[in-house]
Amino acid sequence: MEPTVTNWIDHLSASEVAGQIYPMVGTEIWWVLAGIVFWIGWTFATATGEAEEHEKLARKKHGSNDYKSNIAEW
Amino acid sequence: MDNELTALTTIFTEFYYWMTVVLMFLIHVGFCMYEVGASRYKHHQHTLMKNTLLIPLVTITWFFFGWWIYWAFPTGPGIAPSIMTESTGLVLGGGFGANELANPTNALMAVNLGDHIMGVFWAAFLLFSWTAASIVSGAVIERITTFAFGIMAIAIGSVFWSIDASWGWHFDGWMLKILGYHDAYASGVIHAICGGFALGILTVLGPRIGKFSSSGEPRNIGPRNPWLVCIGLFLIFTGFWGFYAACNIPIFDLGPEYGMEGVTYFTATNIYVTPTTLSGITMNFLMSLSGGFLAGYWISKGDPFWTYSGGLAGIIAASAGNDLYHPMQSLIIAGAGTAVAYKMHYWVERTFKIDDAVGAVAVHGYAGVFGLVVCGFVLWGYPSSGYNVGSMWVGTDYAPINPLGMIIGAIIMFGVLGFLPGWILAKILHGFGRLRIPRDVELAGLDYNILEQARKDERAVASSNR
Repeated sequence: MEPTVTNWIDHLSASEVAGQIYPMVGTEIWWVLAGIVFWIGWTFATATGEAEEHEKLARKKHGSNDYKSNIAEW
Repeated sequence: MDNELTALTTIFTEFYYWMTVVLMFLIHVGFCMYEVGASRYKHHQHTLMKNTLLIPLVTITWFFFGWWIYWAFPTGPGIAPSIMTESTGLVLGGGFGANELANPTNALMAVNLGDHIMGVFWAAFLLFSWTAASIVSGAVIERITTFAFGIMAIAIGSVFWSIDASWGWHFDGWMLKILGYHDAYASGVIHAICGGFALGILTVLGPRIGKFSSSGEPRNIGPRNPWLVCIGLFLIFTGFWGFYAACNIPIFDLGPEYGMEGVTYFTATNIYVTPTTLSGITMNFLMSLSGGFLAGYWISKGDPFWTYSGGLAGIIAASAGNDLYHPMQSLIIAGAGTAVAYKMHYWVERTFKIDDAVGAVAVHGYAGVFGLVVCGFVLWGYPSSGYNVGSMWVGTDYAPINPLGMIIGAIIMFGVLGFLPGWILAKILHGFGRLRIPRDVELAGLDYNILEQARKDERAVASSNR
C-alpha cells in the first residue's frame, strides 16, 4: 500500500498541492459504509441487550425502596 | 496559503471555531451533571449513560447525513429559490452546495491542506446538535429506554434541528426570504424546536410513577443533588459563551459580499452574514442572564432550581435578537420570558398531566417561542439579510423582520419541526413497546442490578483477609 505522502518537500513544492493527505484516498465510500454498518450493528446489539436486562429485572418484582439495601459503603 | 494576511485570517477563524467547540463541550458536561443531580439515586448511572451516549450517536450521524441536510435544504425544497443556484430544488452545488461541502465521502470532510474551516465549522454545528439532544434528554429521565432515546437523539440532533437550521439559520434559508425570520442565537432553531420535540415525546411517554396523585395533583420530585444541579447549570452557562461565539463569523469583509463597489468593511457577523460585534453580544448575554436570574428568583419566591433555570430561560428568550438589542432590552425580554416559562410549566403540568422532569419544555420551548415572537415586534422593519431586501411572501429577495413572520416561524419551530415529529416517533416506538421501561424496572430502579452487584462485591472484599 503506497502512502499518500512520501516526502513533504516534494508534496508542498508541487505546482498544485494535493489537499487530501490521509491514507487510501479514493476509498472514502468504503470507510463511510463500514462506519454505517458499525453504527447499525451497535444499535441492534445494544437494543437487544437492554430489552433482555429489563425483562430479567422486571421478573424479580423488587419494591421501590429495595435498592436501599444495596447501597455500598466503599 | 501563500499570503500572510490570508493565512492569519484563515488560521484565526479556524482557531476561533475550535475554541467555541471546547467551550461548548462544557454544555454537555453541565447537562450530564444536571441530569444526574435531578434523577433519583436508583437511576443515576443509567441516566448518565443515556446522556453520554448521545455524543457518539449524534456525532456519527451528523457526519453521515446531518451536516449534508443543513447545506441541502435552505430552499425547503420547493419553497423559495436559492440565491446561489436560483432553483428551488435541493442545494447540491453552486459554491456552497451540500455535495460540495458536506457529503461524507468528499475531499473537505477530512484532513485537507486546502481547507482549514470545514472541520471546525462542522464541529461547532455538531455541538449545537448535542445540545439539542441533551435538552430533550432531561425531560424524559427515569423512564425512557436508552434505545428509544438514541433514536430520538438522532432524530432531533441530526435531522430535525438540521432542517430548521437550513430553513431559518442559513444565509440562503427560505424562512428569511418568505417570512423575514431572524433568530441570531437560536431561540427557535435550537431551543423552541427541542422544547416542542420533548413535549411531543412526553405526551406519549407519560409521567414518572408517583408524579401525580390519584386525584391528579402534581407532586414535586425535586433535584436529588442540588449541588450537582447547581454546578451543572453553571457549566451550561459557561458553555453558552462558546455557543454565542460559535453563532458568529468572526471576521468578514462585507463590502464585496454585498456587492458594494470599492467598499471594504471588516466586521464580525451573525450566521446570516449581517454585522454585529462580539463585544455587544457579550453585554446582551450577561444582561439576559441577569434578567432571567432576577425574574426566576422573584416569581419562584427564591426557589434555587427555578432561579438557575430562570437564568437559562432568560438567555434563551433574548437570544433571537441579541445581535441587535440594547442591553436593557435584553434584560427586560429575558425577565418576561422567564416569567412566561415558569407560569406555562405549571399550567401545562396541572392541565395536561405532563411530567417534564427538569423543566426543559418550559426553559427551552416556551422561553424560545416567547423570544421569537417578541423579536418580531422589537426588531420590526430590520432587514433579515444584507442581500436584496424585499417584502414578505415573494421569496426571490429577503423579507424584513416582522411579527407575523416571527409568529409563523415560532409555530414551525415548536410545532411543525418539534412537537409533531417527537409525538409521531414516540407513538411508533410506543407501538413497538420500546419507548418506556417496564413498570417493575422503574420501581426497582434502572441501576438495581449494578447496585446489587456492588453490594455483593463490597461484602466479599470486606470479608477478605488477603
